[in-house]
Amino acid sequence: MANAAIYCPECRAELASDVVHQPEFAPCPACGVALQLSVFPAIHRRQAAGSSGERIMVDGESSCFYHPLKKAVLPCDGCGRFLCALCDCPLEGKHFCTNCLETGRTKGTIKSLDNQRTLYGDLAIALAVAPLLIFYLTIVTAPAALFIAIRYWKSPQSLVRPNRIRYGIAIVVALLEIAGWATLFVVLATRHHTTHG
Amino acid sequence: MAEKQYQRLTRGYPRSGFAVAFASRVSLWLGPDHLLQVDNSGYTETYKRFHFQDIQAIIVRKTKRFMIWNVILALPACASLLAMLPNLNGPHRSEPMTITCGVIAGLFLFFLLINLALGPTCTCLLQTAVQTEEIPALRRARKTRKILNRIYPLITAAQAGEVRPPIAPTAGAAAPPAETPPIKMTPDPAPDPMVPPPRAG
Repeated sequence: MANAAIYCPECRAELASDVVHQPEFAPCPACGVALQLSVFPAIHRRQAAGSSGERIMVDGESSCFYHPLKKAVLPCDGCGRFLCALCDCPLEGKHFCTNCLETGRTKGTIKSLDNQRTLYGDLAIALAVAPLLIFYLTIVTAPAALFIAIRYWKSPQSLVRPNRIRYGIAIVVALLEIAGWATLFVVLATRHHTTHG
Repeated sequence: MAEKQYQRLTRGYPRSGFAVAFASRVSLWLGPDHLLQVDNSGYTETYKRFHFQDIQAIIVRKTKRFMIWNVILALPACASLLAMLPNLNGPHRSEPMTITCGVIAGLFLFFLLINLALGPTCTCLLQTAVQTEEIPALRRARKTRKILNRIYPLITAAQAGEVRPPIAPTAGAAAPPAETPPIKMTPDPAPDPMVPPPRAG
């Protein structure tokens, strides 16, 4: 496979792909747009051709779990099943089958495949605080915020800002709101009782 | 807290220039062996990792957004100042008008100064073997240069084992077309004071 090339983002002219680190902007010779290039040795890396796996030639050879006619080359580091060269998915020095990769991605056990997280702490705090502007909404949102904060307390947090302070704030605010509503109902019930009793 | 392994490189910027309040915000973080682009849409975070080993090139292009914003902010500021002048003295002196124009001019001048302080704008493209991705968090040339100078040694160290392929073409390999050689980029040469500039015409 040919080496990669670098193109001017403006005019698509091919630029020299020597390993270089330009400290300042320089004009593209084709269109004159000011560019600053940093080119790294990976630009010259040749992409390895994929392998489809060897066929079993001798009886008794281990076969791939997914392709019984193909020779197994290594076991999966996730489930231990034998894999042929086609089924082998190398990742961070380990070898996985496609099933284990998918499971690792969905369950979050392979950190580098984890590409989305829900910020339940932010959601709980928004549910607890934002409806304060229209106070009547809190009769619904306060229990919802409390539920989310408790239910997802142990769920994976943000990769870059992990803390549970938001959950704590949401729980405190939601409890105060619920306490406020409870007090209001008790007061109203007492008044009703005294006026009609 | 054991999970915290990223250092913030940029704060969150809206993906598009004019969507300020409700658009997702993109920030860039430095991990142990990769850059992490975080797309925060309020209640979810989407991550994109660029491993140092895979980065082929970083291309920064200067944009005109800096000048456009300067014009957009300077024009109303100047107009407000001009409108304020007749109200300062003379027969048509109006204090409320002066204050209103002054506040408007001050507001635009404030944002103009912020734009000037942040410096020229740019777009940053990060190229790997399979994609060329724009990094929306890097939009100011000065900040981008600072970050590039920080990550350049990390990328170089991660790719220290890379070897260049043999220069001689292998048998059967197609030779690159001779008529379109890649363009060699050189920085702007400093003008030689001893050489007179070429005459026009």
